[in-house]
Amino acid sequence: MADSPSSQSSPMTHHKYSYHVENAGEGNHRAEKFLSAFAAILRHSNYRFIVELFARTTARCGRCAASCQVYQASNDPRDIPCYRTQLLLDVYRQYFTSSGQFRSRILGEDALSEAKMDEMAECFYRCMACRRCSIDCPLGLDHGLMTHLGRYILSEAGIAPKGLVVSVREQLEGATANTSAIPLPALLDNLEFLKDELRETKGASVDFPVDQENAEYIFFPAVSDYLMEADTLMGNAAVLHATGTSWTIGSQYFDGINYGLFYNDWILERIIHKLVGEARRLKAKKVLVGECGHAARSARQFVPTFAGDQNLPVVSVLELTWQAVKAGKLRLKPGVITERVTYHDPCNIARSGWIVDQPREILRSFVSDFVEMNPHGRENYCCGGGSGLVSLDETHDFRMKVSGKTKAEQIRASGAQIVATPCANCKKQLRELVDYYKLPVQIVGVHDLILRAVEL
Amino acid sequence: MPTWLTLAKGPAFLFVLAVFALGLLRLIVLTVWDILAAVHRAGNRRMPYRQILRQTLSWLLPVNHLHRARPAYSFASFGLHVSILLVGLFLRNHLDILQANIGFAWWSISKPILDVLTLIGIAGAAFLLLSRIYVMSSQRLSRTSDYLLLLLLLNILVSGYLAGRDWNPIPYDELMLFHVLNGMALLLVAPFSKIAHCVLFPFIRLGAEVAWHLTPRGGSEVIQTLHGPQGRKI
Repeated sequence: MADSPSSQSSPMTHHKYSYHVENAGEGNHRAEKFLSAFAAILRHSNYRFIVELFARTTARCGRCAASCQVYQASNDPRDIPCYRTQLLLDVYRQYFTSSGQFRSRILGEDALSEAKMDEMAECFYRCMACRRCSIDCPLGLDHGLMTHLGRYILSEAGIAPKGLVVSVREQLEGATANTSAIPLPALLDNLEFLKDELRETKGASVDFPVDQENAEYIFFPAVSDYLMEADTLMGNAAVLHATGTSWTIGSQYFDGINYGLFYNDWILERIIHKLVGEARRLKAKKVLVGECGHAARSARQFVPTFAGDQNLPVVSVLELTWQAVKAGKLRLKPGVITERVTYHDPCNIARSGWIVDQPREILRSFVSDFVEMNPHGRENYCCGGGSGLVSLDETHDFRMKVSGKTKAEQIRASGAQIVATPCANCKKQLRELVDYYKLPVQIVGVHDLILRAVEL
Repeated sequence: MPTWLTLAKGPAFLFVLAVFALGLLRLIVLTVWDILAAVHRAGNRRMPYRQILRQTLSWLLPVNHLHRARPAYSFASFGLHVSILLVGLFLRNHLDILQANIGFAWWSISKPILDVLTLIGIAGAAFLLLSRIYVMSSQRLSRTSDYLLLLLLLNILVSGYLAGRDWNPIPYDELMLFHVLNGMALLLVAPFSKIAHCVLFPFIRLGAEVAWHLTPRGGSEVIQTLHGPQGRKI
């Protein structure tokens, strides 16, 4: 993806984009499909007015170029957030406004071309939808929203990354009902293993309750944590145990991941229904989301949107832990972590200001040498793998050389030995950056460190 | 005063002012209506209004923002905005025309201050124009209308400034007609160009937040429209 996309077709896949797509070859009436999808989405959603408003007001000042880490690394005009947004606004103006249709007829503007389709398909997947540029837009245009909409339209026109589609298919239509295709027996084995580990390392009998009805919380981590982030899960469970919290994992649905946020509202809503359905089946009072930025944001933002009268509160495990620390319910040994630690803010929970200070306060309570990256918090730089890119192995070069470059420099400059971040996607991307840039740091979850500090 | 200048400052100005005011009013009404309708359709109608208001207001006087990205461009742009607003709305001569046409006006700012602001505006507009021509990121984003609007502003500011100078080498009436015609052109295009942000600015951040509040079943309805009742597989 770092190089010219048109010359980047992988010999393995023969696809024309920098990501693999199922059944979306050329000559597939992509432009017609795109316009039909655009029309249907405008008709059945809330997007029309915002596209209209952006089209009327966008000043094309280019200030966003200075705050976008992708453009800063690539220097490719296609990566200027406003340029990408214009691609969509131009199609909207030409096809969905009367003045645009009139102008198009008078001036004989070209119809939506295959080249334009390729450009959109490429550009919308070179953006991590981190929304950092929105902070610096004087008008307040949300280019992340336009990336979201652009990807949504593309996906209904048949253009969506195979890596995301296949995972979602398994989650919504597959036998295992989760993006990592973990069968229930494997999950239960895994929980037993985690229990044993906790008994051995912490000397405490910490339970991982499954299908407990009427629990206070039903727990949805990024399901990949069950495969790859044992310490994070043990940290989560240790906190819930230490605070005497009633919680459960649902056997029929236990995945917090919602790739719908990255490319399709229909998918987004179906996944939310699945999550709420499991919570209701077990009569849980609240949804507890594990360490995962997009899972936390999608549940927090869209459970109230799609759940209707089945709505229930959504809490991030970081909020729960922070409240326990503040209330003195959790004993964390001060100074137990002596390595230099920094914290990476996942965009999906930090950009809105929702979770910025809480993890820092938790970490500072037991880390003796805590340093910040600059900038951080709401103005953080993305890990470079946001919006699902990290799940697409074929984007590795782009994520290392372009989108993740700034973050790698930030980490190096911090001098930290440990980077803690509460997000499965960020952790995967940062670990790849560590390998690629030979950074002398360890990437962990926040609860991985809490596990080391907690007294049970 | 020549007849054409009287006409330009009289009935023609009134017409242009009507297009400007009604055109912008139409945009405000449409936008507010759209936002209210979107909030009504949203599955979750709770919006962080206070936070949006705070962010929007902070950009009205963006002293904390300008240095963060493209500082020179940002200060030039801010200078241009302040200049246009203050000189346009508070110059005695402008207010006299307003008084003569619609029967009311407001207090003015003293000429020397506005002269300095006009120079700031000229410098700002020239800098923005040169940036659009020479800076790669701006160049790639710019459309013809972006250049033309900046030229229009430069015409207005430079002619207005010259008109008030003793050493102005251009005949006053011709210069003033040029100034007035460019000013009227600016007012005429405002509702139909990006200048509309002068009234739509307060609604953009709000609108973006509202747009994230999706409509329940919207996705399924899209699928039905595109694929019929049988829907599609993932």
